Amino acid sequence: MTTTQTETVTVRVFGALRQAIGRSEVQLPCAGASVRDVLIRLIAECAGEAGSYIFDKQGNLWRSLMLLVNDELVEDAFRQRTNAGDVICLLLPLAGG
Amino acid sequence: MKACTSPPWRLKSPSSQASDARPPQFTEQQIERYSRHIILPEVGGEGQRKLLASRVLIVGAGGLGSPAGLYLAAAGVGRIGIVDSDAVELSNLQRQVLHATSCLGRAKCLSARDTMEDLNPDVRVVPYNERLTSANALRIIADYDVVLDGSDNFPTRYLVNDACVMAGKPLCHAGILRFEGQVTTIMPGAGPCYRCVYPEPPPPGLVPSCQEAGILGVTAGVVGLLQATEAVKLILGIGSPLVGRLLLYSALDTGFREVRVPRRPDCAICGENPTITELIDYEQFCRLTPGRTTPGGGSP
Repeated sequence: MTTTQTETVTVRVFGALRQAIGRSEVQLPCAGASVRDVLIRLIAECAGEAGSYIFDKQGNLWRSLMLLVNDELVEDAFRQRTNAGDVICLLLPLAGG
Repeated sequence: MKACTSPPWRLKSPSSQASDARPPQFTEQQIERYSRHIILPEVGGEGQRKLLASRVLIVGAGGLGSPAGLYLAAAGVGRIGIVDSDAVELSNLQRQVLHATSCLGRAKCLSARDTMEDLNPDVRVVPYNERLTSANALRIIADYDVVLDGSDNFPTRYLVNDACVMAGKPLCHAGILRFEGQVTTIMPGAGPCYRCVYPEPPPPGLVPSCQEAGILGVTAGVVGLLQATEAVKLILGIGSPLVGRLLLYSALDTGFREVRVPRRPDCAICGENPTITELIDYEQFCRLTPGRTTPGGGSP
């Protein structure tokens, strides 16, 4: 059985994360999982050091990471569940000027 | 019927108001120079007078400050302060269009001043050949209506944010890296601040600088001009500034995205119970050892 778009969650990444992952968008067949679990799945799917941009060594989300689901700020990535078709955006601040 | 009120982002500083009983008259040359502005109903003669009476501080004469400074000078912003303690280097010239090859080795703030004043003699440029620090930030910012952050490091970005929140000054913020940019406008009291967007800086080394990861020169131009556009709109009191919105630009995709950013009630500086009540040691806050960055708005 193939995964349809209605079962997937899209993760969009920017800046250094985009460079680490090697693409700007990843679709994951894990609708219904918590936002945190989607991110763990993202790290497992992608080679490289994407994980270090998202979680610290204790497994906590970096406070410098902005997490959005459908352009709304995520308050609690552990508890918030995703729905099919959701778009998660991961943003890191940019220091360059 | 609800009473009509001024938008919360309308500038309060008297320098930006053109409500004098006898507004200054334009010279013939000014009428010609600013004719494309004056003909716009949203600007007109009154708006151009606001621009000429306005004062904008640019932190950093680098990739963002250069395009912003050029266009703000061309627009006739009457006083432009420019903070930068660096000297012009060859690697700057791919994007820092305020500086020319003939300016290599010269203080950036002086090179920037000469370029902007040459472009428009109506503009007085005030160079600050020093780093922006916790000791001087509030004093420098006090003389301006709008601040534009074109710095290149996290300690300066948090310092500029905190100083603007404390002083109640509008801040046009932007950051760039590689092919991307982020822009927002911070209006203290009316929307989220930089700490509401990013409560903490990333750990040192996690997010690379333009020096480490590169920056497409034209990306800096696009993003710097978005900042300048925000500043001009604030001065004129027109349109809808990026208050509570973070604009993302991707040069590779040629695309813009916008995300809504709320105020955080627990924000350390603009929240309900702020824990930061005076400017702090921003290198320590960013977990950097002194001397590792250039918290002066420079852009190496």
